[in-house]
Amino acid sequence: MNYSELINRLSDRTGNSSEKTKDILGDAIDVLTRQLMDGKGVSIPNLGTFGTRINPEKKVYNPHYDAYIMVPRKRVVEFTPASGLKDDVKFIGGEDE
Amino acid sequence: MSEKITFKELVDLIAEQSKQSHASANSFVHELVKIIESGLKTSGSVSISGFGKFELRWMNERSGIHPQTGEEITIPAQNKVVFKPFKALREEINKPYSFLKNRLISGEYEAIPAGFDEEMASESGKSGTATPNRDTFHDSPKDQSLPTVDELLIIHDNPHFSGGKSLTQMDSSIAMPPPIALPDEDKIAVEVQKAGTFKWSYAAAIIIALIAFILLFYMMSNTTEPDITQAPAQSEQLLVSPESPAEITENDITDPEAPMVPDPDPVVDTDDADLPVQTEFTTEVYSVEPGQSLWSIAESRLGNPYLWPLLYHLNRDILDNPNQLPEASDLNIPSISNPDNLNSFEREQVALGYFSLYEWNRTNNPDEARYFLWAVGVFSPEILDSPPSQPDPDDLAFARNR
Repeated sequence: MNYSELINRLSDRTGNSSEKTKDILGDAIDVLTRQLMDGKGVSIPNLGTFGTRINPEKKVYNPHYDAYIMVPRKRVVEFTPASGLKDDVKFIGGEDE
Repeated sequence: MSEKITFKELVDLIAEQSKQSHASANSFVHELVKIIESGLKTSGSVSISGFGKFELRWMNERSGIHPQTGEEITIPAQNKVVFKPFKALREEINKPYSFLKNRLISGEYEAIPAGFDEEMASESGKSGTATPNRDTFHDSPKDQSLPTVDELLIIHDNPHFSGGKSLTQMDSSIAMPPPIALPDEDKIAVEVQKAGTFKWSYAAAIIIALIAFILLFYMMSNTTEPDITQAPAQSEQLLVSPESPAEITENDITDPEAPMVPDPDPVVDTDDADLPVQTEFTTEVYSVEPGQSLWSIAESRLGNPYLWPLLYHLNRDILDNPNQLPEASDLNIPSISNPDNLNSFEREQVALGYFSLYEWNRTNNPDEARYFLWAVGVFSPEILDSPPSQPDPDDLAFARNR
C-alpha cells in the first residue's frame, strides 16, 4: 500500500478531507520524529515500539578500495513490532513469497 | 533507548501540533494503526512518505534453541514485521553524528596491526557511552589537521629549517613517511616505544628515517641557493621571527618544528599583542531557559554549535561544569559576524574556550581531555604553542599529531 492509498483510506475512516489528513499525518510524524531525535522512545498500541539506538563505530571491508574502512558511530531507528501485530500477520501469504 | 514517553503524551503532542482535540488525535492514531495492519495483511507493505515503510519479511523455517529449556526446536517459517526508515528520517535521527565520516584505513595501518587494533578497540569500547563532546572535534576540515606532502617539502627545503629534531612525534601517530631528517635513531625508538602505538614498525621507521636522512642531505646540497626563490612566502615569515617557528601560518599545524616551541612563550605573546585586530567581543546577556545546553545556545545564537566553548570561556565566572547549565542564569553571548569564517581574534577565543574545557576535563574526565586540546590546535595553533598553562606532555603530543 503506498502513501496515497493510505491517505485515501485514512480520510475515509476519519471523515476528514485528504488534504487535512495529510496535514495531520505529517504533524504526527513530526512529533514522533522529534521524540526520537531527543532520544526518547514511544510505544504505539497494536503497532509497536519506536526507539533509537547508537551503533558503535565498526570496521568494514570495502572491496572497491580493497581496504578496511572505519564506519563511524551512527544513531538509528529501532522498531519492535507489537506482539498482537506480529501474531496477526505471521502466516499471511507467506508461501508465495 | 533510555527514556520513553507514554502513548498518551504522544497523542497530546500530536493533538497540540495539529490543533485538534486529544480524542480526535487519539482516534486518528488508532485508525492509522488499523490501516497499517490491514495494509500489511493485504499487500505486505505500507509506506508512509517522509517516515518509512512497514513491510512483511518472510522468514524461512530455521532451527533454534528454546531460551528456557535449552532444547533444540524448529522455528516454523513465518512473517516478520520490519520497519525501514526512509532517508529523511535516518538523516534526521543521525544528525548528532552526521559530521562523522567514513575513514579509510590505509595499507600502512594494515602493516602495523598490533598497536593500531588495540587503540581501535579501546576507542570503540568507549563509544558506547558516547559523550558528544568528543565528537565535536571531528568537524574541522581535514586539510587543517594534516599538512600535505607539499607543505612538508616546503618546510623541508627551507634553509632555515634547523634540522628536524622532532618529527618522531609525527611518525608515531601517522605512518606517513615524510622525507624529514632524523638525527638520532635511538631517540626515535624511545619515542615510538613511549607512544606505544606500533610494535612492528621500528624497523620500518628506522629505514624510513635513514632514507629521509640521506634524501635531506641530498636536497640540502642541491638546493641551498635556489631555496629562497622556491618558497618566498615561507622565508618571509621566517624572517619575521626566525627563532620562533610558532609564527608559521595556521596551515602548518603539524609543523615538525612546533614541538620545540612551548618554552619561548613571551616572544609569541608579545607578537600576538601587536596584531591590530578586534580585542573584545560585544556581548549581550541571555538568560538560559530550561532544557538548554551550551551546545544548543551556541547553535541558536552563534549560528554554529561547535563554538560552544566560547560561551563557556566567556562565562567562566558562572559556569564550572560545562555540561550543566544552572537554570535561569544569565550568560554573556558574544556577537559573531560570520560563524563560518571567524576572524583571528574569534578563533583565538574559541581556542581558549577549548583550552578551558581541556583543563576542566583533565581533572574530571581525563580520558577525553586530549581531544579538547586537539581542538585548541585546530582553531588556533598559536594558542596550542603558547598555552595559558602547561598541558600534559602526552596530550600535547596527541594534539599536535592528530
